[in-house]
Amino acid sequence: MSNFAQGTGTSAIPSQEHGSKSTGQIVWKRFRRHPGARAGAVVLLILVLAVLLAPLSPYSPGISSLQNRFRPPSWSHPMGTDALGRDLLTRILYGGRVSLTVGILVVGITLTIGVTVGSLAGYWGGLLDNLLMRITDAALTLPSLLVLILLGAILRDIDLPLLKQNSVLTIALVIGTLSWMTFARLVRASILTLRELDFVTASRALGASPTRIVVRHILPNTIGPITVEATLELGYAIIEESGLSFLGFGIQPPTPSWGNLLSNAQENFLRYPWLAIFPGVMIFLAIVSVNYIGDGLRDAFDPYKVLKKAGEL
Amino acid sequence: MTQYVVRRLIQAVGMMMLLSIVFFGLVNLAPGGPLAGYGRARRIPAAQIPRIRAQLGLDKPILVQYVVWLLGNDWMQVDADGDGVADGQGTRRGILRGDLGYSFRTRKPVLEEIWSRLPNTLYLMSATLFVALALAIPIGVISALRQYSKFDITVTTLAFAGQSLPDFWLGLILIIVFYVWLPNPFTGGPLLPSGGIYTIGAPFSISDRLAHLAMPVAAGALGWLAWYSRFLRSSMLDVIHQDYLRTARAKGLPEYLVVFRHGLRNALIPLVTLLALDLPYLVSGAVFIEMIFAWPGMGLLYYQAALQRDYPILMAMLVVGAGFIIASNLLADLVYALLDPRIHYS
Amino acid sequence: MSKDSVKVLAISAVLLVAVLGCQPVGPAATATKTAGESQPPQGAAPKSLVIVIPEDPPSFNAVVADSGYDALAMHLTMLGLAAIDPAGEVYPVLAADLPTVDNGGVVIHEDEGTMDVTWRMRTDVTWADGTPVTADDVLFTYEAIADPETGAWIPGIDLVTGVDKIDDHSFVVHFSSVYPSHLTLFGGRQVVIWPKHYCDPEQGFLNWDCAREPLSNGPFILKEWMTGDHLTFERNPGYFVPGKPQVESIVIKIVPDATVRETMLRQGDADILMWATEQVASNLKDDGSVRVSVSPTGRWVMRLFINLAAKGSTDPVADPNPLFSDVRVRQAIRGAIDVDMIAESVWYGYANPVWTEFFRPPYDTCKMERPAFDPEGAKALLDEAGWIIGVDGIRECKGCGTAADGTKFQFELLTYSEYGEPLILTQQLIAEMLKNVGIQADLSQVQGTVMWADSASQGLEQNGNFEIDLYDDGYAGNDPTDFIWQYYYSESAQPDYGWNFGRWFYPGFDDLIDSAYTLDETERTAAFCEMAKILDAELPQILLFSTINADAYGSRVGGVEANVNSVVSWNAADWTLAK
Repeated sequence: MSNFAQGTGTSAIPSQEHGSKSTGQIVWKRFRRHPGARAGAVVLLILVLAVLLAPLSPYSPGISSLQNRFRPPSWSHPMGTDALGRDLLTRILYGGRVSLTVGILVVGITLTIGVTVGSLAGYWGGLLDNLLMRITDAALTLPSLLVLILLGAILRDIDLPLLKQNSVLTIALVIGTLSWMTFARLVRASILTLRELDFVTASRALGASPTRIVVRHILPNTIGPITVEATLELGYAIIEESGLSFLGFGIQPPTPSWGNLLSNAQENFLRYPWLAIFPGVMIFLAIVSVNYIGDGLRDAFDPYKVLKKAGEL
Repeated sequence: MTQYVVRRLIQAVGMMMLLSIVFFGLVNLAPGGPLAGYGRARRIPAAQIPRIRAQLGLDKPILVQYVVWLLGNDWMQVDADGDGVADGQGTRRGILRGDLGYSFRTRKPVLEEIWSRLPNTLYLMSATLFVALALAIPIGVISALRQYSKFDITVTTLAFAGQSLPDFWLGLILIIVFYVWLPNPFTGGPLLPSGGIYTIGAPFSISDRLAHLAMPVAAGALGWLAWYSRFLRSSMLDVIHQDYLRTARAKGLPEYLVVFRHGLRNALIPLVTLLALDLPYLVSGAVFIEMIFAWPGMGLLYYQAALQRDYPILMAMLVVGAGFIIASNLLADLVYALLDPRIHYS
Repeated sequence: MSKDSVKVLAISAVLLVAVLGCQPVGPAATATKTAGESQPPQGAAPKSLVIVIPEDPPSFNAVVADSGYDALAMHLTMLGLAAIDPAGEVYPVLAADLPTVDNGGVVIHEDEGTMDVTWRMRTDVTWADGTPVTADDVLFTYEAIADPETGAWIPGIDLVTGVDKIDDHSFVVHFSSVYPSHLTLFGGRQVVIWPKHYCDPEQGFLNWDCAREPLSNGPFILKEWMTGDHLTFERNPGYFVPGKPQVESIVIKIVPDATVRETMLRQGDADILMWATEQVASNLKDDGSVRVSVSPTGRWVMRLFINLAAKGSTDPVADPNPLFSDVRVRQAIRGAIDVDMIAESVWYGYANPVWTEFFRPPYDTCKMERPAFDPEGAKALLDEAGWIIGVDGIRECKGCGTAADGTKFQFELLTYSEYGEPLILTQQLIAEMLKNVGIQADLSQVQGTVMWADSASQGLEQNGNFEIDLYDDGYAGNDPTDFIWQYYYSESAQPDYGWNFGRWFYPGFDDLIDSAYTLDETERTAAFCEMAKILDAELPQILLFSTINADAYGSRVGGVEANVNSVVSWNAADWTLAK
């Protein structure tokens, strides 16, 4: 899928609204009212709890049990067993840890790079802005799927200390280096809008350093679209991970991940469909809930929608 | 104005050079190489190695390889059989003169390989994009106009669903359903073909082409459709509340004109920005769809080349892909400058 | 109008032109001519026999890449001097008969050690354009292969000093020493005879266009090739066997996804599925409409390849491997692995345990005893070798002699990822079995190209950058001599010189290999059996099992027989297709 572009509409919420409530509280209130977001948050919470509790399972995700191969779902194995007799539910839960970790790492990487580049470009402007935006543009002209495959092929087996056989980090890097540009643009656009506002001028007049201004005054007001974008990025990363696993560049077995569980199951699809259905359902649930949360956040940060609902427009 | 054009051209060329160096570095950085044997043949005989290395030009240092790729080697002496003695002039003219090199795997010109696949990818991806847009725009508009209605909520849910499924998985499911399970009521055979562009040996027929397009397009368009319709909905919502629409309504314009002439047109603008970002996919293709549906396209060619370290194909596709985008940016900027009299580029 | 709108409009315009103007590109034009026989009537084309494979053949010349799919296409259209049948017997194709010592075809000059092989060719074979196939074509092929600049290496070519024409249909090949596989030098799975009047020697053997647009003398003629999508063949009316082929046309379809290929076979959209895996064979067992032809012996033997030098080194004398240098350790590893269990489970029972390189006829007569699955014995051996179980269940060196005391028995078990699930699962099972005897194997997979590339491309094996490698390999054809040379000869241990990545040296083994280069079958078998004993005692590689060699085919097709010494199209002329 494509890089996400900036949605329209204002991104900054005036800091003074509804009396003395803080921005955070207002957002939270609006978020709670959004039915989809509520459901999404609940589902995601359940998923996260489930994967955190994975070690409680009586089965081990790694030890084979060859007399139990390919068992269909039953009471003792709610999701059946796989080609080595391992309990699928256990593997899916452990796989969830890996996939979610990849997702969070990707969000972390893209946020870090994107916010840094965007802030530097937006605030300092001039030559630095030009240069950074050129780099961003260049990164955007990369045929991303092609570069993804290339990076996957290279980084998977390269002999570097941190990366070797640490496929979680490798994949997060591969996906992350191709998706930070949206954040950079978002942040830069916000900064360009905000930096001429009075409170920023005032801070500057008071002698605040540029870093302080950016970090303490401007960035908090860009939280809205960034948060929305970040949640969507999480969903995107999980899908990309499954795609990379399908191509053979993903998480290496025997470590399970939702992606490689899915890709390994496709050979057996006709005979043992549960092996492919359950990981697919997990990916589906995770991403749908993340998307709903993102949608809820977008509505929560956007004044127009809520005001219309309240009949004020 | 001319100054602007010249400047942009120089910038574009510079960007391409820079990117080509980056690509070349990446491609050569990958451990492993084309001499690893193919398919089931585990290793090529050791006696072949020096000869093939020389034939493929891999015995030169990387910088020289890059220069040869760029400028060709027909102006220098080459050692073709790996015996350390130069045998004559090279035959390559370099990419700057249009020679994309020869595939390591098939020893045939890369241009031929790409040329035989590119139309297939364009064909599939355009159809996919077209279907995605044709459905996304009305869905997005209606969702926006009937915000929070049953239609909106159903469509939103389906859209999220569509974005949450990996497309290779979706493709397999479609094949299971439409090729294995559901029979064609007329012939008793499968409802839809399992892959390929057309039925081999059969005369050209639109219905045959459409039948072969149905599943790959469905699998590929779903994600885009979901994304675009959500985006358009959001964009439309923003536009609807704008003042100038209120003014238009106040002027007594019928609602549909308000929505379509003023609202939609402006709502489409951000969508176009999105589209512009997705254009690379038209050329690079969707690897997963091509794999599952046996579509002979660019994505599959690239993937196999990556696994077998077929450097010329990788470089050519990366350069073509990036070049396509840079050229389209440049073209758009130039046309825009021509159209809009307010712009004076210096 | 915004800039982006303009951009999109511009692109759309270009695309519209592209899509309308370039319909999927038609097949590459083929210049083959038929020999003046009448064409089959136009109209509804008879349904073709469809073969599905995962990727395009790189060309019709199986020597260039040897992916197997090139051999598939090659054997449909072209012929070699002789070929090997599924039982391992060589039979003449373009040759009128096989030269032997008895019929005077093979002459060994004892004093110089050289050998001359005189061939007589059939006189009734023609190329599809009517030109007869003659000894000129053989000479032309030889010169193209032997060309130092544009030629290729095929097994045995180093020993050929020259080929001389005797008359239009006979010639003699001069060898500098006795070469046992002389019958399949210009035949077998990989090599065919190329037409002198059609191929361009300037382009060279590896690059010539006639490997993309071949001129047939075989049962079928290439009609069209849409790269990446399909190849179409029609029967060659001038084929030298009367009444054959019976199949009118063949289509090879490229279908990358394995599940889709299997489904197509079941649905009847594909007639032959080349190289059916164990999974597919097992799936299709119960399907009445599909049959699987399984070769009695496999070619590819899954094995553990042990680096006897330390990881990263290629010198086992200066840097011996701390873990594996003691032969008792290697024996213990072999004893710890339950090959039957792996073969039954992950390989659906289609893997056959193999414990010697010489397991295929006609050299399977050495009567090597099968090593027992004996984890207790393995533990005892390890204890004896000085590896004692530590507190965490992993063995540590206590007087092992090859490593410092306290070294843990922990290593990286490597395999390659392109094979698919069964290999990955096998790797996991082996790791578990080793854990049971106190050995910790850390699993990793790499891409095949990383494992097998030459040393300059950082190939792991050539650089010795591995500890134990799990992969499959086996010799083609019916003669293991070249294969044994590549894997076990001392010269082969040099990087990029051969495949002796384990850096195994054994005094006298080289001489044994040299002694196998004889035509005396008794001597050869004796040499092989000697080698078998040594390899079994020294265990430079631990052989596990052979994987399936099978082709699946639908009910419409007859005559399909899997051939471990070639590919499924070896007898394409005998195939039948029910109407």
